[in-house]
Parts: sequence; structure tokens; C-alpha cells
Amino acid sequence: MKNLKYFLILIGFIVLISACKKDEPTEPAEDTPFKATPYVFDIPNHFPTIMNIPEDNPMTVEGVELGRYLFYDGRLAGREDEGLYMSCGTCHLQEYSFENGVGFGHGLPDSNGYSKPSPHVMLPMINLVWNHEGYLWNGMISKNNTNLGSAGYGVPAEPQFHMRNIESLVWMGIAAAHEMNSTVDASVNAIKNISIYPPMFEAAFGTPEINYDRIAKAIAQFIRTLVASDSKAHKVFRGDENFSDSERRGFNLFVTEQGADCFHCHGSEGAPLFTTHLFYNNAKDSFFSGIYDDPRDRYHITGNPTDLGAYKATTLINIEKTGPYMHDGRFKTLDDVINFYNSGLKWSPYADPLMHKLVPPYGNGAELTPFQIADLKAFLLTLTDEAFLTNPDFAKPAGLQY
Amino acid sequence: MNELFKLLLLTLFSVILIAFYSCKKDEPIPDENPSEKSGKLIFKFNHVIDGQNIDYDTIKYVNEAGNKYGVNVIQYFVTDVTLHKSGGTSMMIDDWTDFAYVDTDIPTTLTWEVFDPIPIGNYDSITFTLGFNEVKNQSFMFVNPPEVNMVWPVYLGGGYHYLKINTKWIDTTGLARGCAWHLGIGQTYDSSGIVNGFIQNYFTVGLPNSSFEITENNTKEIQIVMNVENWFKNPNTYNFDDFGGDIMQTQAAMILGCENGHDVFTIGYIQ
Repeated sequence: MKNLKYFLILIGFIVLISACKKDEPTEPAEDTPFKATPYVFDIPNHFPTIMNIPEDNPMTVEGVELGRYLFYDGRLAGREDEGLYMSCGTCHLQEYSFENGVGFGHGLPDSNGYSKPSPHVMLPMINLVWNHEGYLWNGMISKNNTNLGSAGYGVPAEPQFHMRNIESLVWMGIAAAHEMNSTVDASVNAIKNISIYPPMFEAAFGTPEINYDRIAKAIAQFIRTLVASDSKAHKVFRGDENFSDSERRGFNLFVTEQGADCFHCHGSEGAPLFTTHLFYNNAKDSFFSGIYDDPRDRYHITGNPTDLGAYKATTLINIEKTGPYMHDGRFKTLDDVINFYNSGLKWSPYADPLMHKLVPPYGNGAELTPFQIADLKAFLLTLTDEAFLTNPDFAKPAGLQY
Repeated sequence: MNELFKLLLLTLFSVILIAFYSCKKDEPIPDENPSEKSGKLIFKFNHVIDGQNIDYDTIKYVNEAGNKYGVNVIQYFVTDVTLHKSGGTSMMIDDWTDFAYVDTDIPTTLTWEVFDPIPIGNYDSITFTLGFNEVKNQSFMFVNPPEVNMVWPVYLGGGYHYLKINTKWIDTTGLARGCAWHLGIGQTYDSSGIVNGFIQNYFTVGLPNSSFEITENNTKEIQIVMNVENWFKNPNTYNFDDFGGDIMQTQAAMILGCENGHDVFTIGYIQ
């Protein structure tokens, strides 16, 4: 009788447990689509949470690794038969925050041996995953630029201009005369003939097929991983380090209107990308006609006269490493830049209203003392992220020869 | 045997009863006031000078002080929107994420579809805070653009700009000069120019003629108009030449703007 009681209680528990079993998800179908390993971003403190990643190019570990190889493979230019090699990494050097360190670049030579210079100096290729305002100095590559791909705009409808993102820039790197000076077909064929790539494409995209779409997507994925967030300034903002007295005074000048007022365009502790990614005429020039000026300024994208002479505000992270400065590289050193903002502004009706230190009729500037200039520079030097500049995850793969 | 049968029956009955209640599916929590009927509210923001839509980037307006000026962009936060009823009761649109950031360069920000359901009834007036009060105005609470670009440096009080009007005026040289006409937390300084205190400059805006009715399951659209010229008059005549191109460290200038702010906003329409 006693055993029967226990037996019945046991039956009761079994019924209870069975009855309360949660609804199980249905079994996945046998032909589950290919899934690479999702790439997980570790978003640094106070950095944006909204990232510019196209829906049709999700980040994967395998895609990023493939992108790193392609970024650094000189055979990507498709001109190996001429003995010419160029990759993205030929000019975009990690030690210079993925600029070239010298200013204007030159493309691979054409059949006459002419190497075309780039129209602008480079922008640092860092933290671009948080850029929503368009790429290049004038923001031409942008989801908002509906002219991209239209007849007469100077770029083809495809490849990749439906994405209007970093993927589109890869085409530019291959085709532009001032860069690889090649063709997409030559580039794809070159990559197809390299034995290491089919398995890498299969790991990244599910099949070994190599085409331009996949090349562009993989390189774009790698570029989106180039996150610089560990400068001394960032560590101070996180509470891990302290500024020196000079650096602290320099930072206060950086964020105050009566100081140097850099922060409205270049961020601060609360906007740690150190750029708004927006476009400003920063009073470098006094004459704009709209006709004879740089055909690659912001005005030539928007058609708004107030954008004459306006260019993207660059990030100041690693600013020490990214000279020469401005879109045309006119300032060779960081001292030149500080001196410009201190006393070299040039009045024009097109200067941005935020350039409030621009006093007509000539210009002027922040009018800092020599001691204040030294403090401001001391702060700017704290924006160098040495760990980023030497991070092996961003470096050329060890086994890659070309 | 009879006793065994009773025990068996009792056990089975208990098990079924417990299983029935313990396996009851999760049900949604009912509304606190299921009987309260509600409608929706949409705010539209418009910006005018002298009653006309603004011709941006054009220096063609004249303020009370006689300054010729133009506007490049206007950006600001509207918070603590409160709907007042007769008898002194009120309802704050209190979902914390439901502030409004308004930016004349970003058309989508000119419409604010309020998330909160609004109880039906007649409302006599609307008030809101321009910017954030000292409790809510916390540094680092925004990390994404465009709001993050409103950051107000910690050294100057922290948090975020209440308002930015990027403008140009014709100064005494007869040429255009830029002005970052920005409002936010003010500072006091010691004799050596070091910040030694802060002044909360946010203020409450009361909207005249803002009575409206919310009916069940209907949406009421209310247009809020910023009359930009009023920032520069009544009670204070603001002269750009007096303060120059930057004011966020000049409390004497910011307070003039804040005091003028009481009648800057009006109702355009309610429909």
C-alpha cells in the first residue's frame, strides 16, 4: 500500500512535467541556407550603436578575413601580366591610420607610362562603420545620392552603386585612373586564378564562386572592422587614465567657443568619433566662383551654393599620423593646421556659420597664445591610438606575398 | 480495495488540477485601465520669420535691433510636453525616449508621432521644456547622430545643447559673420577665468490657444511654430554686434535669449 502511494505520486510528477513541457521550435529544414559565423562588434564606450552595414552584406568572421586578404593582395589590380601590383593596402597604410602618409597618391601607369595623381589626399579609413553621411571628401558615395548610377554622372549604374556604400568605393579603387587603373573583369579574373581564394569565398559566401560583388562585399566587411577607440583621450574619458595638466588645458580649449572651438565639428568626450562626418566650409579660401573651383567639393554634390568649398570634417583620431592635411594637403604638419585655425582663416560668404572666429573683412582665427597652442597640440596628440596602428588583425596577412 | 480506489481517484484528480493550473499559458498583462479610451497625437514643427517660411542660407531678415541676418539651420530638443486640463490636472508625455529632436536639415524630425496613447477628453493647453531639465540633461545619454551632435561639453556643464541656431548677420564691417547662437547650461567663472559654477537655463514654454480634444481612436495633429524673430525681442532686444559669434560661454547673452523664448512658439493649427 505504501509503495503504491509512492508510485502514484511519481506518476503525478511525470504527468506534471510532461504536461508543462514548453512548445519546442520546429526542426529546421534539412536544406538550411548557408550560414557563416556572424562577426560580433564590441562597441566601445559611448560609441554609436547604429552602424552603417548594408542588409545584403552582413558581417561575418569569414567574410572579414577574406576581405583582409583581398585588401592587401596586390594581384587585385589584375595587372600582374604587366608586372604591376596594387592593392588597397598599397596606399592605405595601417601605420598612417590607413592613409598613405605623403599626400596625393598616384595610380598605376597607363599604356603610356603615365600615373595619374589623385584629385584629393586621402581620408583616414577608420571608424567608417559609423559614417552615415556619405564617403569621400564630398560625400558622393551615399545612400542619399540618387544620381549614382544614372547616365551622365560619370560612374556606371553597376557594379555596386545600388549599395551606395563602401562596397561602391571598391569599384572606384579598381577602375579609377588615379588608383589601380584597371577593370573589374581583370580584377576578378586575377583573383579567380589564385588557389587560396575559392575555399575562402566558400567559407564566406557558401560557394567557391568568385565575382566582383563578393570581392567588394568582403573588402567592405574588413574595412568596417577598422575601429580606433583606444587613444589616451578615450582612456581618459573612460576613467582609465588622466590627462597631464597641459593636455587637460588643451582639451578645455578644444571644447570651448572662447578657446579653439573644435568640438562643434570634431566631437568631444560625448561624441568620441571626433567628427560629425558632416561637411563644412572651414574658411580655407576666400574666392569661390562655383565654376572654376574644385569640381569635387560638396557643392558639386548638393548644388547648394552654401556648400561651395565645403568638405567632410575628418576624424581627429590619429590626427598626428594623417598629414598632410585638408582635402588638398595644403598643410604639411599639425602645427600648420593649428596656425591656420589660430590666425589664418580667410573670409568668404560661404564659410560655415560655425566658423564664428572668422572676422570680416579678412579672417583672423582663435587667437590663442603660444602656450595655449602648445596645450591644444598636447591634447591633439592624445588622440593617437597606437594599439590600432599596430593591431595584427588589421595588418597584411603573413603569408601574402604580393 | 475501496480505500485504494479512493486514493487513486484523489491522486489523479489532484494531478489533473495542478497540471491544469500550472500549465496555464502566459497571457498578456491587461492594461491598467482597460476602460480608458484613448487617441493619438502628432506634432508638426514649422519655423518662420515674420510669418513667412524661412528662406534658409539667405541674409535678408532684419531683427528688432536692426541686424540683417539669415538662418542656416535650427536644431533643438522639446521635452516634458504636458497636456493640461481644466481643474489643474495634467498629463506629461512621459515616455523617456519620447522627447522630440527637431532639425531643419532633417525633414523626418519635423514630425513627432507621440508614442503614448492620449486619454480622450478636452485639454486646455500645452506646455513643454525647451532643452532638458537638470535631472534629464545627462552627458553620454545619446550616442548616435543626430542627437549626439548636440553635445554640450562637460567642462561647460555637460549634457546637450537645448537649441542651436546657426546664423549669419551683417556686422559693422558690412560683411557677413557667422554666429553659433546656441543655448544650454550657463557657467560662472572665477577671476582667473576658470569655471566655478553652472546655471540651468532651460525654460518652460506655454503655448497660447492650444486647447484641443482627443476622441477615441482618432489622431489629433498639432502644428507648433517657431517664430524665429522673437528670439531677438521682447523683453530683450538682442543685438548680434553686442555679443559676437558665440554665446555658449556668455551667460549674459544666453539669458536674453531664454527670457525672450517665452513667446517664440505658437500654435499653427490643430486638426
